[in-house]
Amino acid sequence: MIPRDSQERQLLIAEHVLGLLSPKQAAEVERWLEQDDDAAQLASHWQAHWLGAAELLEPEPLPPGLWQRIERQTAEGGTRRRPFWQALWQSPSLWRTVSAGLLVAVVLLLGPLRVPAPVYTVVLQAPGEAASPGWRITVSDRGDLQLTPLADSEYPVDRSVQFWTLADPAQGPRSLGLINPGQPLILPASRVGDVESGQLFELTLEPPGGSPADRPTGPVLFIGRAVAL
Amino acid sequence: MDDSRAELEQGDALVQACARGDRRAFHQLYVNEAPRMLALARRFTGDASLAEDALQDTFVQVWKNAGRFRSQRGSARTWLFGLLRYRLINQHHRSRREAFEPLPGDQWPDPGPSPEQCSLENDQRRAIIDCLQTLQMDRRRPILMAFYQGFTYEQIADTLAVPLGTIKSRVRSGLKGLQECLRL
Repeated sequence: MIPRDSQERQLLIAEHVLGLLSPKQAAEVERWLEQDDDAAQLASHWQAHWLGAAELLEPEPLPPGLWQRIERQTAEGGTRRRPFWQALWQSPSLWRTVSAGLLVAVVLLLGPLRVPAPVYTVVLQAPGEAASPGWRITVSDRGDLQLTPLADSEYPVDRSVQFWTLADPAQGPRSLGLINPGQPLILPASRVGDVESGQLFELTLEPPGGSPADRPTGPVLFIGRAVAL
Repeated sequence: MDDSRAELEQGDALVQACARGDRRAFHQLYVNEAPRMLALARRFTGDASLAEDALQDTFVQVWKNAGRFRSQRGSARTWLFGLLRYRLINQHHRSRREAFEPLPGDQWPDPGPSPEQCSLENDQRRAIIDCLQTLQMDRRRPILMAFYQGFTYEQIADTLAVPLGTIKSRVRSGLKGLQECLRL
């Protein structure tokens, strides 16, 4: 309820501009501001004052790709927000989950399999299931990549499973081709390209024959990040 | 005209050009304003991806609603930051933050030229710094936590391990002090 006392009203506006009110209170104040020019003017003054505090912050470099997303979204018929694959690749919560299980998984998995002289390894896990490694990748000192299944997984027979990597988010993911579910795969260095620590790899479920675009279009089945050995 | 005032006036002109469908002006506005807006959004959300999403949505709103901007009510920069904070408060306000970053309030910069030399809005922007300095730390800090980090009363109380009623009382006392100091 909007108070009658003018001092209380002024404080309520100050709290509103700071974002301290509950959603219900904030909605009520918004309606009040729409109808009361004096109150709206006071809110506007508070906002102008607070701009000075915002200007104390050091400007941050703008991430590559953000302007392009804004451009697309504001263009006629543009798409909204980041594409799913990009949001997933860039999701810190996903990577926190993946990273949490990664070191343990590496220690557990590398011993028995003993891939000769790998320089990078990746444990691919189902998103959000850090304890469920599905595939392991090793990259040798020559740059060859071996993808090895670690568990039996079921895949729809009418879909393809595609292998991707992402070294630079600004460039987007790069397809490493389709895989045969449950079967190991070896790719030469010329196909894999340079691999660096933290580089992302994933398997996605795609239409038969692979993604119709130059990026993943289907759900992520397994995902992981390269760790230097 | 000082640089700061020129910047504000350029921002106003750019938003007005956006309202006429000028894409180059829109990009220039982004280049000028987005870096500091991103800093605020990142501090507010504590998450780079969420901050980028908020910034993206805000600039989409700017493009769609540029015709509603009225320079008599405040600068374009105030309008932009208002849109951004509104978006942040509505979307991310209630999520609990784990990280606690230092607030940019313990070492205030030189307030610069005297207010008489500057425009009204420049006066307002400098005055808030001066007035915040006059507040006791236990009043200033929770207010800055709300502004920079989007904390609710409850989150401030939890973070500072101070009873909720005490925090509310301190914030309101601090806001009263600011209001008097700012002559609002």
